[in-house]
Amino acid sequence: MSRCTLGSLIEVEGGLEWDPDEIERQLARRRAHFAAADLQPGDRVLIAFGNRAAFFVELLAAWRLGACVIPVDTRSTPFEVETLARAAQARFAVVDAHTGADKREVLNDLGLTVLDTDSSCQGGEAIDAHERGLPLEADALILFTSGSTGEPKGVVHTHRSLLAKWTTLKRHLGLVPYRRTLCALPTHFGHGLICNCLFPWLAGQDLVIAPPFRPELLMRLGDVIDQHRITFLSSVPSMWKLALRTSSPPKRGTLERIHVGSAPLSAKVWDDIRAWSGTHEVYNAYGITETGSWIAGTTGEDADAETRDGHIGEPWGAEIRVIPTRAGAGTPNTEEECAPGTPGHVWLRTPALMRGYFGRDDLTAAVVHDGWFATGDIGFKDERGRLHLCGREREEINKGGMKIYPGDVDAVAERHASVREVCTFAVEDANYGQNVGIALVMERGEAELADLYAWLKQHLAEPKLPVRWYLVDEIPRTSRGKINRETVRATCELGEPVNLAALLRRAS
Amino acid sequence: MSRDAHKADLIRFLRTIQRLDAPALEDGALDEHTSLVDSGLIDSLAVIQIVSYLEEAHGIDFRTAGLDPENLRTVAGILDLIQLRRAG
Repeated sequence: MSRCTLGSLIEVEGGLEWDPDEIERQLARRRAHFAAADLQPGDRVLIAFGNRAAFFVELLAAWRLGACVIPVDTRSTPFEVETLARAAQARFAVVDAHTGADKREVLNDLGLTVLDTDSSCQGGEAIDAHERGLPLEADALILFTSGSTGEPKGVVHTHRSLLAKWTTLKRHLGLVPYRRTLCALPTHFGHGLICNCLFPWLAGQDLVIAPPFRPELLMRLGDVIDQHRITFLSSVPSMWKLALRTSSPPKRGTLERIHVGSAPLSAKVWDDIRAWSGTHEVYNAYGITETGSWIAGTTGEDADAETRDGHIGEPWGAEIRVIPTRAGAGTPNTEEECAPGTPGHVWLRTPALMRGYFGRDDLTAAVVHDGWFATGDIGFKDERGRLHLCGREREEINKGGMKIYPGDVDAVAERHASVREVCTFAVEDANYGQNVGIALVMERGEAELADLYAWLKQHLAEPKLPVRWYLVDEIPRTSRGKINRETVRATCELGEPVNLAALLRRAS
Repeated sequence: MSRDAHKADLIRFLRTIQRLDAPALEDGALDEHTSLVDSGLIDSLAVIQIVSYLEEAHGIDFRTAGLDPENLRTVAGILDLIQLRRAG
């Protein structure tokens, strides 16, 4: 990737601020450390922390030496980190002072070279390592979207697909509103990393970094916006549930644009954000990791139009087609598009499409046909060609914008000896919109639930732990023997969940 | 209502939102200055349910200037908010 003009990096907590000159010094220092550890082009570097200025500098240093970066959720368990590092065949890992000894141990045991951004990269001369010219086709990022407990599914973006993303976003959205961007989303997934952060920062705009989803921060969001003269932030709807009710609005009038994505945005919350923020440029951004996140949204004339549930808007650097058939049964090249107002399967074509799933050509072939990507979403186009979403085929549980794959939880539960059958599904949740429910057929009923809970807690990141547990005699199946998670949920909710809290207290 | 009565009511409420594996909340056992989130008693976003409780049970409007979100970290802080509201 060619050299770019960088913006400043500012941390909300602690007051760290690196201007572009300091960032170049930090980059040189980190490149020297990577080079001294014999990092080679094509190596994969797992970064086990995020939402810090150091994260972005480590990422860019690795890129400038030709490596591919794998950002991992800070909350992942050692088991999950090990699974992902193994699947990605990472040679390096970068940790920080908050990374636990158990995670460092599994990374060391796997034979990775582990660098600590808070110790190995401090002090010393900023000896510049040789920068390597990068082919655009080189892998830049692997973002794991599921399978952290079993068969990981890693979305691979090349420098070419990322550059295509940023170029098209700049053309459709401009850069001016992003000149002082706040990142309050996690930096290990597409929405937070590629779009909220890297798009503006690598184009020379300043990036103000906050800890993700921190309630104390959301409750003073207006003050943070004023204090840092924020012009733009991206968000997920669950953040606004807290911010709108508790934070006073920003008063300095710096805020120009807000994006909301990763989960359905209701017209009510949309209107409330407009009223609170004082800007009408509140865009419902539709994004998918495989397409580098933001791919469509509410811009142009629609930005001032009346808000509607499910309204997305126009494509941002992509073609959108809605056809009657899902992946495997036809493609937009062979099928007629649905009539306006008629729901169908949403397909996308964009130069920002991923190279594929890491090491899983079978999975890639299942969703990419003739250059088109099958999103798994159901939607329709209106008379003006604007996209509206009305459902999805994918199984993911959308917990406040964070995607949890039921299969990941199933895979861990199934490995526990007490579990005969398991099915994880989405349940409604007052805080997050959706949360994790689980139906279990146990060998000995309730007797081993406490042990199973401890097992899940050991292996799953905290957000993936089921909050509602149901014991059933059998998991209902379709006439063809398949499990429909929605049917399982509906069946379970006819009965009462297990009082797991009381059970755990009795066991402790 | 006295501070103790408010505390008893608050703890009854906290029992309804505490995490699955949090220890039982006994009226007298909880240190008022323990962080509810950091101690693992509640999920971080469950703070929104505490906000709802304070709005509905005590008429507190958080958008009013002068309320510090840090108050929601502990039982003592929440009780201070309630008393402030009652006094105001």
